[in-house]
Amino acid sequence: MKILGLIGSYRKNGNSDILAKEALMGAEEAGAEVELLRLTDYKINPCQGFGLCLFREEGCHIKDDVKFIWSRIGDADGILLSVPCYFLESTAVLKQLIDRAWVLAHRGTFRGKYASVMVPYATRGWIPYAMLQPNIFLGILGLKVIHRAAFNVQGLGEAVHDDPAIKKARRIGMELTRAVLHQDPTYRSERGLCPICQDRNIRILKDHKGVECPTCGIRGTLTVQDGIIDVAFDESAVSTYRFDPVVGYNHFTYHIKPSRDYYLRTKEERKAKGKLYRGYLKDEG
Amino acid sequence: MKKYTVYLRYYIGDPLEEIHLEDLDRIGKTHGVEIFFEKIDNRTFDNGIMKEETLGKAIEEITQDVITVASGDETPFKEAILAIYERYRSPRTVYGFWGSSKDGERIAKEIAEETGGGW
Repeated sequence: MKILGLIGSYRKNGNSDILAKEALMGAEEAGAEVELLRLTDYKINPCQGFGLCLFREEGCHIKDDVKFIWSRIGDADGILLSVPCYFLESTAVLKQLIDRAWVLAHRGTFRGKYASVMVPYATRGWIPYAMLQPNIFLGILGLKVIHRAAFNVQGLGEAVHDDPAIKKARRIGMELTRAVLHQDPTYRSERGLCPICQDRNIRILKDHKGVECPTCGIRGTLTVQDGIIDVAFDESAVSTYRFDPVVGYNHFTYHIKPSRDYYLRTKEERKAKGKLYRGYLKDEG
Repeated sequence: MKKYTVYLRYYIGDPLEEIHLEDLDRIGKTHGVEIFFEKIDNRTFDNGIMKEETLGKAIEEITQDVITVASGDETPFKEAILAIYERYRSPRTVYGFWGSSKDGERIAKEIAEETGGGW
């Protein structure tokens, strides 16, 4: 049984490293084999938007290290994602990988595996979207997340001073291992507002009548009782979770694939009107 | 085809709730417009799961609910579309209005953006 640590930070021996390694030590203690990949050590090119992975279902044709990263995830039973929040959200390497993950989204390649997320950050109040990219990434992969934790540590390697943070990281690694061993998807961190991704970001819909979790795409109702604001999601809303296998299948089947027919039908008009832009401010590349 | 004709194409999972002809009839009568409803279902059962291959299929032939709204007058046409969106939300795709009259599509898209658009 293997736990794979994924680090989304360029800085070696920094807080993301320390927390990931402490958690992996915990995983080892609980009986797991462990492996560590620093995502910034690998070549992750941008998605080129050709859509061949969707339309031809051939996989991705870009030649870089992403297939290797997927293979490592495929070999693991649990993923420990440690990604810092420098400015409001995750580092760019994770977003780059998210865009490339679309090739996997409709296949459910890794569905059923387990994961935990750790986010070191510097200043309280400057991390509103820190869990956004981890939630999207793990949602696309179909992983069951059992911990999401943010760690207030700023300077390089400062986490070593923070005993509670170190203990928490170790516990996260141990509990991830136990979750895999017992196939127990119970969520163990503090709960947020969304019952799926547990984030606290809620979007007010344009009709100003309802709200939604923008990550999961589920709709709910804002409630205020005795001055306490809350959000209620009913069970039927949860079934519309964006990364649910059926919702995902329908998205690719009815929103993506038919666009080929639309593209072909509008091709000539697009070609004629597009002439105006093709020759304008032509770049040297 | 009337000046204002729109096909609202809802694919699986697009409407917020199941579309009922009675509700559409009521909207049509309230606003004095013509409304038609067609259900197209070309899914097949495969190991107990509803499936459909849509790559290379015509937009009109894949499984969908099509609401047609037609009117010679712009105001009731707009009001009827708004009522439909309030109940079911707007179609989700760029081809969700395929086959509509030019003015019908323009209006239906404008209302979709105003009420439940991109963000």
